[in-house]
Amino acid sequence: MSSVKQSAIWDVQLRQLLLTKLGQEASECEDSIAIDTETCRFAVADGATEAFDARRWAERLAQNWVQRESTLTLEEFREWVATEGRELQESWNGLSLSWYSEEKARSGSFAAFVGVELDLETDLPTWKAIALGDACLLHCRGGSLIKGLPLSRSDSFNAAPMLVASDSSLHESSMPSVVIDSGTCENGDVLLLMSDAAASWYLQHLENVSGDKDPFEMKCDEELSRFFDEERSAGRIRNDDLAIIRIEITDRRVG
Amino acid sequence: MYSAQITRANPTCIILLIDQSGSMADPFSGDSARKKSDFVAEVVNHTLHDLVIRCTKTEEVRNYYHVSVIGYGRTVGSCFSGPLSARPIVPIAEVADYPLQVKSSYKRVSDGAGGWVEIPVRYPVWIHPSSDGKTPMCEALGRAKDILHRWLLEHPRGFPPTVLHLTDGESSDGDPNDIGRQIMSLGTDDGAVLLFNCHISTRRSAKIEYPTDESSLPDGFARSLFAISSRLPGNFLGAAAQLGVNAVEGSRGFVFNGDPSSIVQFYEIGTSLTGMTPYRWMDDRTELA
Repeated sequence: MSSVKQSAIWDVQLRQLLLTKLGQEASECEDSIAIDTETCRFAVADGATEAFDARRWAERLAQNWVQRESTLTLEEFREWVATEGRELQESWNGLSLSWYSEEKARSGSFAAFVGVELDLETDLPTWKAIALGDACLLHCRGGSLIKGLPLSRSDSFNAAPMLVASDSSLHESSMPSVVIDSGTCENGDVLLLMSDAAASWYLQHLENVSGDKDPFEMKCDEELSRFFDEERSAGRIRNDDLAIIRIEITDRRVG
Repeated sequence: MYSAQITRANPTCIILLIDQSGSMADPFSGDSARKKSDFVAEVVNHTLHDLVIRCTKTEEVRNYYHVSVIGYGRTVGSCFSGPLSARPIVPIAEVADYPLQVKSSYKRVSDGAGGWVEIPVRYPVWIHPSSDGKTPMCEALGRAKDILHRWLLEHPRGFPPTVLHLTDGESSDGDPNDIGRQIMSLGTDDGAVLLFNCHISTRRSAKIEYPTDESSLPDGFARSLFAISSRLPGNFLGAAAQLGVNAVEGSRGFVFNGDPSSIVQFYEIGTSLTGMTPYRWMDDRTELA
């Protein structure tokens, strides 16, 4: 657990988890997490399993987005993705590829993306977020979902979401699916950025009224990792890469 | 059942069983220029291309599938040539590395700005058309059963194997019912082997696709193939729906009097496995410049 740049009033506790699909090497993980504590920007990207160079595309989107200043409007996002996609695909020039890699590269790369920026300099902390695909931002208060984007129900996930495409011709057609939203936080609120398997599972947890204990109450990251491994082994969470950033906001003035 | 994740540790097996008897040299009705054997070879090559591309991770092909292509006509055996020919079943990465040839062409695609550009595409070829001899269907199904039996000893867990059998006529070496049922009795801890049958015809007869019962079938041969066709699991029904194919709960993986589009859809649905979106190679073909 770590803290971001503090404001006079608000304290922000961070927790992050990046777990590779069971049975795969860590080097094969296609989810990516990026955090910039100075700008209070956070991002999760999930490279599409079937895409060419998906790991690098996801890393590039997450890492470069948090280092930017804005990219929270559709127009900025459109231009930025086009540039990032062009640069990624230019990096493939000169590679000597087999026929199948060449075929795969022809479609470009794909990833789900969600990024959020926190503003702690106001009376109540506010956030602005942008998302495309099925990586989600979940804003929770007292164990309930206040807002989820781009998806807010566990049954909304499907096998073929619209994703951030590196290819310019595909990129443009995905832009209408970009979701932009904002919100205001209160003391104790939690923002979760999650790739699809984790988001689907956590939404199900929130929808379930059985009162199961919130797994994020586990203090130790190793214990939490073990929990996710067990859940994936048992099939309660889909066996996929898991990327999670948990942002808890508390008022210093409240004990 | 039919829900296991397909991984390198738990791959699945796909057997394509192709009738290569003399009658496959006949054209489809209404398309006198096109031999059935030519069309089937093209669809099989595209299906193998699709399976390879699905398993391609940047510069590596992961062995999610083990594949066998068996032809039957004058002889019964692997349709692969070269280094793959002596192998009854081949991991998909090796299929990727050993096509007979890779053809190059151009495809017209949108440039994203309202215009079109032509881009190079590659079409690997693994099998050539063949049409000679009788229809030893039972021997071919027996070969598939032997391959499955050995493969399942090493892979008892995971998504069950799929056998996609295509024929244009009745068996010349007996009733395939017994051997078909033996194949369907094999399986993994995730379900029984899936045997799907596609019968294609040169006659202008009404095609019957994915029936739920025998009532619409015209003769004993059709009923015999229906009896050895597995029910389509839910994942496959989803793929059929995406292709606009009318298959419902209880539908068998069975086509009778199929035409060229039936063949394409049969392979697209039959290789959709865990519900992945069918790769519409037909769309690619029609856009070729």
